[in-house]
Amino acid sequence: MANMANSLLNMVIDGPKDGNDEESHPYPDSSSKSHGAVSAHNSDCLQAMTQHQEHDHFNDNDSHISASASTPSTQAMEEDHAWSVATRTTTQSSIDDTVTLQRHVPPTHPFAAPDMSLIFDFSPVPLLLLSSSCCITRVSKRFCQDWHVTEEDCIGKFLLPFLESQIRETGASKSRLIAEAVDDAVAARSERTSKAITVKSAFTCRARVIPIFRDAELVSIYLEWHERPSSEVLDNEQVQPGLSTDEAFRILVQATKDYAIFLLDTKGHIATWNTGAQLLKGYTREEIIGKHFSIFYGKEDLDIKKPDMELDICLREGRVEDEGWRYKKDGTRFWANVVITAVYKNGVHVGFGKVTRDLTERKASESRLIAAYEESEKLKSDFLANMSHEIRTPMHGMLSACALLLDSPLTERQRDIVNIMDESGQILLQVINDILDYSKLASGSFSVSSDVVGVASIITSVVRAVQTTLPPAVHFELFLAPNLPKSVQGDPLRYRQIVQNIVGNAAKFTDKGSIRVKASVDSEDNDSYTILTEVIDTGIGIRESASASLFTPFSQFDLTTTKRYKGTGLGLSIAKSLAELMGGRIGYRPNPERHGSVFWFTARFKKIKSLEQIQDWKHQMAAKDGSPISPIQPDVTVLQQRLASVAGTKSILLVEDNVINQKVMLGMLRSLGFRSIDLAADGAAAVKMVTGKPVGYDIVLMDINMPILDGNEASQKIRDAGVKVPIIAMTAYALKGDREKCLEYGMNDYVPKPVDRKFLIKVLATWILEKVDYRKAYDERLQQLKDCDEKLHRLSVSEGVAAARRESVDGGSKPGMALQGDEGVVKGWASPFREVDQAQASNAGVRQGTFQEPASVRIPKMLAQRTERTKVGPLPLPSGDQGAPMLSDAQQGKQELPNGGFAEGEGLNQLPPVSDGEISPRTLV
Amino acid sequence: MHSHYDDDREDQDIMPDFGEHVDNGIFEQILEMDDDDKREFSKSLVTNFFDQAEETFVKIEEVLNNEKLDNGKRLETLSSLGHFLKGSSATLGFNKIRDSCQIIQQYGHKLTVDGAAEPNEQVCLEKIQAALKTARNDKNVLADMMLNETHGFFQPDDE
Repeated sequence: MANMANSLLNMVIDGPKDGNDEESHPYPDSSSKSHGAVSAHNSDCLQAMTQHQEHDHFNDNDSHISASASTPSTQAMEEDHAWSVATRTTTQSSIDDTVTLQRHVPPTHPFAAPDMSLIFDFSPVPLLLLSSSCCITRVSKRFCQDWHVTEEDCIGKFLLPFLESQIRETGASKSRLIAEAVDDAVAARSERTSKAITVKSAFTCRARVIPIFRDAELVSIYLEWHERPSSEVLDNEQVQPGLSTDEAFRILVQATKDYAIFLLDTKGHIATWNTGAQLLKGYTREEIIGKHFSIFYGKEDLDIKKPDMELDICLREGRVEDEGWRYKKDGTRFWANVVITAVYKNGVHVGFGKVTRDLTERKASESRLIAAYEESEKLKSDFLANMSHEIRTPMHGMLSACALLLDSPLTERQRDIVNIMDESGQILLQVINDILDYSKLASGSFSVSSDVVGVASIITSVVRAVQTTLPPAVHFELFLAPNLPKSVQGDPLRYRQIVQNIVGNAAKFTDKGSIRVKASVDSEDNDSYTILTEVIDTGIGIRESASASLFTPFSQFDLTTTKRYKGTGLGLSIAKSLAELMGGRIGYRPNPERHGSVFWFTARFKKIKSLEQIQDWKHQMAAKDGSPISPIQPDVTVLQQRLASVAGTKSILLVEDNVINQKVMLGMLRSLGFRSIDLAADGAAAVKMVTGKPVGYDIVLMDINMPILDGNEASQKIRDAGVKVPIIAMTAYALKGDREKCLEYGMNDYVPKPVDRKFLIKVLATWILEKVDYRKAYDERLQQLKDCDEKLHRLSVSEGVAAARRESVDGGSKPGMALQGDEGVVKGWASPFREVDQAQASNAGVRQGTFQEPASVRIPKMLAQRTERTKVGPLPLPSGDQGAPMLSDAQQGKQELPNGGFAEGEGLNQLPPVSDGEISPRTLV
Repeated sequence: MHSHYDDDREDQDIMPDFGEHVDNGIFEQILEMDDDDKREFSKSLVTNFFDQAEETFVKIEEVLNNEKLDNGKRLETLSSLGHFLKGSSATLGFNKIRDSCQIIQQYGHKLTVDGAAEPNEQVCLEKIQAALKTARNDKNVLADMMLNETHGFFQPDDE
């Protein structure tokens, strides 16, 4: 019996060993229990073992095998939710699966984890297990809880229909999301996370799908259901299904082709590389990772350490943006926009994000645009230069004709009509000038020239001109500060234009009272003066509401008076631009004393350093007088006659390479009476001939484009040799710029090609008849200018005023006009109003267009009607200091230049008619 | 740009119409330089011009056919030849020839007539070739109008 019991015991103990070689009883008490039950029913023994199993999962295999064969133990196990529960109710395949799984759980180690079933069931994450055919084989308790289902609702159902029945929203499409994730996971043999779905129980979750493979065979599919907050559901709905946000961004960055987006480490070494970067820069990821990002920069940038600089700035400011050339792997460059952003993780600087865009195309189109713009600007400026000439020339012709007509005997009625023509013509000319000036200013093509400016003389001459248009009830008061410089360097024409504009406005809007013009030095430094010019009137004034738009183009502050006060409304806006061009400002304030306006402006002028400088300008100004735009266009026939009378004694050098042109020029010059004409066929020969006899020629006509030495260089050489003979360029290009170029090279004037006979006559007349011979010495010349200055000054004084002056001299008071300066009374009349060379003056005779009176005395305007104009000879010289410059020499230092003698040159174009055929373009404001 | 034809139109009646070939204003100025109505001066000018033109055309042709020179050099020479003849044709008011010369000058500088860059030297040479042909043709037409013994503007010398 004992033997039998032993053998039984052995059988029981050994049996399992036969069934599974790896099997062993870990606990000694287990064997003793078995031992004690030897005589018992086999099932009891098994039950005992099953009970034991509750504590010892290592017996799992045994128990399961037994359970498959015995109903009671199966029931017991059902209560325990053992694996076998599933196996009983599922299909054959899933049973196989389960068995397979179970077989492979190795109950090897005493401290190994507890039963998988327990873990599965009690996992806090809802879990679902599918067979390879997507049939639900097992659910966790938490799943049932969260989804409000029972095991029976799930087990044995296929996943898709089950989900469709459970999902709250439009089920079919949503459940497909999960199915897709499952399919993806199986296909990729890796885990996937589905998009979120919301089930009937209002539980919103995403499924993490893990397919479980044994070699190539799909064993099972494991689904974890992770709850997502509802807000995140919305976010995720915008993301591709199956992607987490991070993943989406990673893919986005990686796949972007148009931008190079990559990360640098803190030192600037490249850490990531996207498709865009590879396409743009040509490096593959493997080549570039770890390299420093300065590899993309060109030499110039590297030389100035731009890459490091950018990182520095980026660290300081968080971000840096740059545009510039970057280089590709193949060495070609592209115009890049680069943004570098400092990247921080949890407050620690971890590197830089760099985004590079290729802007080469944009850059190219930008430069095309700029080129097109510049081209159009150039065309515009050329057009303006041409138009100004084309429009003004006939206008001047018309006005000259009017003036001539007015000088002829006319009936009262005829005179009225011609006066209307004349007046309208002047206004039209002013309008044209305004518009041209305005468009030039607007296009930026307005240039300020650099000549001598006599501020005082410009102001007095403007005042004088405007005075003629004033009603008798208005008088001028002129205040010139005693420290006002005689001559400064700047643009006299533009300065005069502003003065004329605001003085003219004052005259236009003032019916009675006074117009006071004040000029003073606003500030002064080593090189320049800032001159403040103020015009104070007692006119109609300006409403406060209108004063803001005073300087706006085309604004006329009082539309009701437009008809009365003619104009384009451009005047002040032009004045403003001009003042700004001259480094100054312009402004308005109401007259503080009585009704009226105060307009003021400042302009900066350079100081004049030397006598030589003045002489140079003098030359230039003289050159300008002969310009085609000059309004002085005496009758060509008269000029030709005068030219013919002296031509025989004059000697000309013609420099021209083309024999046909030589012949034509020779023919033309001969027909004008010139007999002594030398020929040079190129610039080098010309230089040789001129320097060979430096005072031999009266004038040189110089072709520009010639072999060996061109006209520009030849002229420069002649000037370098110290020869001052007038050189007239003959050029096929006659725009302003070309003319200035000629002047730059030392030439004095130009004639456009093909040479027009009349034009040539005018230019020759200017240089042969009007200009002082260059051969005369400077001293002599200066003296001449001074004489001329004084003579003209005397001429400008009317007989009446001269008489008044004589009276005042007789009366013992100071002669001349007393000027009340801010710092005292300045005596003596200002410099002459114009500069005309003696020859011109004596030839043309001087007509008194206006009468000048001492401004300190309130004298109603002595109307100088054109009809009353008569030619007057030189007046008797006033005695005393009348001829002295307005400002005492002591005040002005040692410079003993005839004030305004030069500066007034520009005035020639500006004044009312003084000699036959002369008409000013800007007489009216 | 210049107002050549404002007045002085008295001898308009004797000016035949040269069409686009001649700027009458300029040409009149040349005629005005004649001392008498024999037009010796102007005739000699015109004759000289046609000689000069033909000489220049031959030079241009030589350069065009001279394959030994590199294109850059050739274009440079062509440009200055174009400029040269442009000067005299403009002086006489021979506008059509002048315009062709302008084309030669421009393309010699590798520029189009409008002043845009034309980097293709072969194109430039072709344009010049074409302009030369036009210029020659215009010159022949004009020479016929001016100097033809039966119907030309300048009648043969009396001698």
